[in-house]
Amino acid sequence: VTGRTHDALTKARELALAGMLGALGLLLPIGFHMLGWGGKVFLPMHLPVLVAGFLLSPGTAAAVAVVTPLLSSVLTGMPPLAPPVALLMVIELAVKATAASVLYRRWRLPMWFVLPLVLVLDLVVLAAAAAVAADFFVIAAAPTTYVLATAALSWPGMLLQLIALPLAVKTIESRVPRLAAERQRS
Amino acid sequence: VIGWLGAGHKPDSVVSRLDARAKLLATGGYVGAVLLAPVRPLWAAAALAALLVVAAAMGRITIRTAGMRLLALALIIGAPFALSRLGSDETRHAGEIFAVKSALIAAAFLVLTATTRTEDMLDAMAQTPLLSGLSGLAALMLRGAHVLIGEVIRTNRAWALRAPGASWMTKVHGLGVASISLLGRAAVRSERIGAAMVLRGFTGSLPAAELGRPRLRDVAVASVFATICLAIGVTARWG
Repeated sequence: VTGRTHDALTKARELALAGMLGALGLLLPIGFHMLGWGGKVFLPMHLPVLVAGFLLSPGTAAAVAVVTPLLSSVLTGMPPLAPPVALLMVIELAVKATAASVLYRRWRLPMWFVLPLVLVLDLVVLAAAAAVAADFFVIAAAPTTYVLATAALSWPGMLLQLIALPLAVKTIESRVPRLAAERQRS
Repeated sequence: VIGWLGAGHKPDSVVSRLDARAKLLATGGYVGAVLLAPVRPLWAAAALAALLVVAAAMGRITIRTAGMRLLALALIIGAPFALSRLGSDETRHAGEIFAVKSALIAAAFLVLTATTRTEDMLDAMAQTPLLSGLSGLAALMLRGAHVLIGEVIRTNRAWALRAPGASWMTKVHGLGVASISLLGRAAVRSERIGAAMVLRGFTGSLPAAELGRPRLRDVAVASVFATICLAIGVTARWG
């Protein structure tokens, strides 16, 4: 395999995995809604996007985080564009996925350290994004109230991420050993 | 959507002859200004609407074409606006913001699509690094969704055969196991898709038509338009 083909293969695999994880980001919320489990409670879209953060390069992970909520909004109407929940999710997921990718894949920090840190960062970013959005659009609640309400509502989703994410990342890394080897090399 | 884009395009106007990338730049500036400008006082929205009317007139868009296109949006924008009138002051204000901003943005896209050939616009988007990458990824996601739906249907069928009339707990446990397994399958499947992409000629970059550099005059006109719009938006918000 020549160097150019190897590069193309690496990019193709990364894109294909990004596409698959993004597709899961579209389908999982639909599944949760069908079961009657609220998206705001279990945060189903966060799971595959965060998995993308742990398995892909920062740029690709951020792209998955940007496209998934917008595409889901266009296809299913959830999350809604007005009020700008989808836009807040774009910022929130992009920061989360990029931070996870940089910390886990680039700096090779352990999962038990990165995951809680990313969840805390998520709330901080959400507060900042809500403060900006409240200025541009009409959001009645103050940013801190919005974040506290979100945290109080979505703690099951955060717990789910803490339990399921390491399991999911390890499962994928065991099925596709290339990903773990690439992390060691980076 | 692709069929709708550029339908009724008239190639004989000043706006039609502008480079598609320049028009995308102008539209971006306009949308930014609409998002920035508050709805009250009304002068900023009125000024932005007036600019759009001038652009539409220069693009030789007939009232009939504009009416036909915007009529389709009347229900989507009008129904939430009408419902908001029944609510509190805050809800009514939110309804006004939604209606005015949505109508202005929809009208801007009408001018863009009615004065630009679909192929030119798609080529221009494919030439824009960020947009081409994101739209390529969105296409891969939709393809991946079809693949995974097939996997879910097959898993569900096998599951129903293995455990007919299973209890609620068994179903939840099965769903958890199936979800993790689906992640694994998705990853393995993506390895095969990646190899297939390379075998079909993927070189690491998405294919795009060579458009060459846009004319300086077109970029200048679009930049002036976008700057005027943004100046209105900034003045209305912070002036």
